[in-house]
Amino acid sequence: MRITQSLFGRSSLLLMALGFTALLATGAGMVWLVEATRSFAAGVIATQDVRVTASQVFSLIQDAETGQRGYLLTGEDRYLEPYRRAMEALPHELPALAARIAADGGNVDAVRQLQATLAMKLDELDRTISLAAAGDQAGALALMRTDRGVAEMDTIRSIVNGIETRSIARGEKRSKGLVRTGRLLLAGAGAAFLLILGVTIGAVLHARRYARALEAAQAEVTAANASLEARVAERTAALAAANDEVQRFAYIVSHDLRAPLVNVMGFTTELEAAVAPIGALLAAAEREAPGIVTSDARAAVLEDIPEAVGFIRSSTQRMDRLINAILRLSREGRRLLHPERVDLQALIAGLVATQQHQLDEAGVSLTLAPGLPSITSDRLAVEQIFGNLIDNAVKYLDPARPGRIVIRGRTSRTHVVVEVEDNGRGIDPRDHDRIFELFRRSGRQDKPGEGIGLAHVRALARRLGGDVECRSAPGLGSTFRVTLALTAPANTQPPSSAEDSPA
Amino acid sequence: MNAAAQAVTIVMVEDDEGHARLIEKNLKRAGVFNEVRHFLNGTAALDFLVGDGRPEHRPLLVLLDLNLPDMSGFDILAKLKADPQLKPTPVIVLTTTDDEREIRRCYELGCSVYITKPVNYETFAQAVRQLGLFLAVIQVPPTP
Repeated sequence: MRITQSLFGRSSLLLMALGFTALLATGAGMVWLVEATRSFAAGVIATQDVRVTASQVFSLIQDAETGQRGYLLTGEDRYLEPYRRAMEALPHELPALAARIAADGGNVDAVRQLQATLAMKLDELDRTISLAAAGDQAGALALMRTDRGVAEMDTIRSIVNGIETRSIARGEKRSKGLVRTGRLLLAGAGAAFLLILGVTIGAVLHARRYARALEAAQAEVTAANASLEARVAERTAALAAANDEVQRFAYIVSHDLRAPLVNVMGFTTELEAAVAPIGALLAAAEREAPGIVTSDARAAVLEDIPEAVGFIRSSTQRMDRLINAILRLSREGRRLLHPERVDLQALIAGLVATQQHQLDEAGVSLTLAPGLPSITSDRLAVEQIFGNLIDNAVKYLDPARPGRIVIRGRTSRTHVVVEVEDNGRGIDPRDHDRIFELFRRSGRQDKPGEGIGLAHVRALARRLGGDVECRSAPGLGSTFRVTLALTAPANTQPPSSAEDSPA
Repeated sequence: MNAAAQAVTIVMVEDDEGHARLIEKNLKRAGVFNEVRHFLNGTAALDFLVGDGRPEHRPLLVLLDLNLPDMSGFDILAKLKADPQLKPTPVIVLTTTDDEREIRRCYELGCSVYITKPVNYETFAQAVRQLGLFLAVIQVPPTP
């Protein structure tokens, strides 16, 4: 499966977000648990308070009853002491009880009920004590014998018990809630832990799969590279072989073409030589027997034959030059390159210096901009390239204006680009490619030349890992841009065997 | 060995009849009137030079073209130089090729002079006439 980098980034982020959310939820649950525990503790204290206060109230009521009983039995005033203390304390304790029940979350109705019952009980106590104090011992006892006080006391006891029981029940309920919350949280934390564990494992698996996918892709790229290199090597070898073939072909053809030319030239000269005695014979005949000399014969000997010989001779010479040019190009192509350190600036300056005399005579200003680099290339080939281009620039200047030639360059990471710019007569755009072909020329044919120089320049530049191209506007000037590899490629072919080919 | 002085034949191995004729003409103009045995291919030339019916006297000179239809001139040169009897005979390579490697190889194989046939006839005639001068020099009997 293919995992793109952005997909991996997004899914990793998602997993991380999931894990983080789980952690956050667990943390929030813990905070909640702490809060719940804290409120549970508060509840426990409140329950305790309710129970303590309720038993205090009940104990005060019992004290009051005990005081009443003691007084009724003895008639001594000192036994009324607990009763009086209770009568003082109860009005404070009851609201306190109500407040604590409210704090505990209970119902204060029970306190109101208690208050009402207590009022009746206290009324009974007060009345018996008042009767006893008035000396009506029997009346007080009769009042007691109605069992009203006992019934009220029972009611009070049950109310207090009820308050306590409800408070305990509330505490238990809270306790159960706490346990449930705790369990819930524990389960939640467990789930979060499992989730985080899952996310972690998922992330690890995901990362491993991504790493494997990356490795596979890397392997693919390496393999593709290797096969690409192999293909390039294959093609290069095929090209070198084809190139070699073409070179050998050119070499053989030019030699085999030369042999018949030797005959044509040789026998033409023999013919010319043979015409000389005939010419003499004609002259003698004209002198001694003018009647036998026809005008045709005279024209043949004096005009036609010399004219024919002249054309044969000039054509043969031209053919010889063309063949020599092919031969030279072919040899140049077969020549083994000797890459060495070449200071381009010094090399071109040297070429310019050798031309300086002609430049001065023609009134041409040639500027060589500084900053050309040193390259590793074949010195002779580089010299021939720039020598040809400078020759051409000078040769095809426009006589209508002073010549101006500028040579400048710039260096990239792998190549140097040198421009030879002139303000000469320019080249028709249709011929910009043609001029680099062998024997092709452009414009007025008013300068000597075979149309070889630029073909040679292109062949050399390409061998040196570069090329040459032309930009020109007719009537304005031309710029030839030479690109050369900073390090010329190694020889692609051995200096193959002229010996193997039939000479 | 007196026989060498009597060797007067010039052997010319040249597949182009025109070239052969031009060479003969110019040799005569240079004053060389020795008999010229002309062979159009390498096989016939080797038959004559090292075959069973080889002449009693070795030739004065062998003029050899490298560009032959049936074999390379290098092979003929090597065979001549490997033959003890023919080894002293000067071999002049006269061919259209002016490739440096070929010239070097010819000299390595033992040729005496290497002459390129120039297309320009005046130069060609000049070269063959100089050959006449060369012949005048080697007429001296070689040391055995």
